[in-house]
Amino acid sequence: MSLRGLFEWLEAMPMSTALRESIYGYPILLTSHVVSMCVIAGLLIMMDLRLTGVGNLRTPVTHIQHRLFPWQMLGLAMSVVSGGLLFYGQPMRFYGNFWFWLKNLLLLAALANALYFHRTTYRTVAAWDTDAVPPTPARVAGALGLMLWAGVMVTGRMIAYSGLVPQWWLDLGLT
Amino acid sequence: MVLEFFEWMEGSALSLTFQSAVWYSPLIQVMHLVAVAFFSGALLLVDLRMLGVGLTAQPLRQVAQDAQPWLVGGLVALAITGTPTMASTSIKQYYSPFWWWKMEMLLLGVIFIFTVRRKVIEADEGSLGPVWPKVVALTSMGLFLGVTIGARLIGLS
Repeated sequence: MSLRGLFEWLEAMPMSTALRESIYGYPILLTSHVVSMCVIAGLLIMMDLRLTGVGNLRTPVTHIQHRLFPWQMLGLAMSVVSGGLLFYGQPMRFYGNFWFWLKNLLLLAALANALYFHRTTYRTVAAWDTDAVPPTPARVAGALGLMLWAGVMVTGRMIAYSGLVPQWWLDLGLT
Repeated sequence: MVLEFFEWMEGSALSLTFQSAVWYSPLIQVMHLVAVAFFSGALLLVDLRMLGVGLTAQPLRQVAQDAQPWLVGGLVALAITGTPTMASTSIKQYYSPFWWWKMEMLLLGVIFIFTVRRKVIEADEGSLGPVWPKVVALTSMGLFLGVTIGARLIGLS
């Protein structure tokens, strides 16, 4: 089955149709998605500001990391559920949407950045936990995190502007 | 009188400039959203601490002092980026109950965080007891949750 076929198959499902035709489903899911974004992106920004040596400098890095992580995961779970249902309700709306694909690409890059940081630089955190300015690799990971999450938010909002896209994307004829 | 003010805003130079290019509106809206994230993070950092979760090893006043620049900066950025969007669609906003809801919640929220919440943050933590900071944190989060819900629903009204 092609990707387009998969999206069409999803859209033809009775539950997808029910979600699409529900009066309150879309506003509730969209609002939940924005609220979850405030939780996850807001708290990730606070952590990344610490990593870049710009904000929350009097709190040890491990304390911010350990204590905010459960709330970030709660935000992520809310975001995945509400975002997944928003997608499931209108898969074909997203299939040809440039911003939807770019958002997911940036989301994957943000997760890869976090994973790489934890497998490398974070292992030595005991040596710089309370330093106001962490070592360069940590600051780079924090700055990348800030940029990537800002990118996720920007492209997520741009999904509503499906016509404002590069010409080469329109030439693909995906819509 | 109020409607006249909204009509004047929609016809203002700021509104017309904003409506003149197709990219202005999305550009300002995404900046508004990024400001929302900074503001939310700074607000939640302190409210979670008051709830007895989050950064509990740090004194409440220190957590709040460190979050303050991002809270105030986020609020200023929200006002700056929200004004052109408001001006260019002011008649729509005037007739949207969600816009009025959002503004009422925002006004209450801003007054609350700079009065009651601030007083609790600056007080001696030992004198507050276990309940009062939690009530303040839940009120703060509830008011700004109301702002977010109202803001999101304006577009769907």
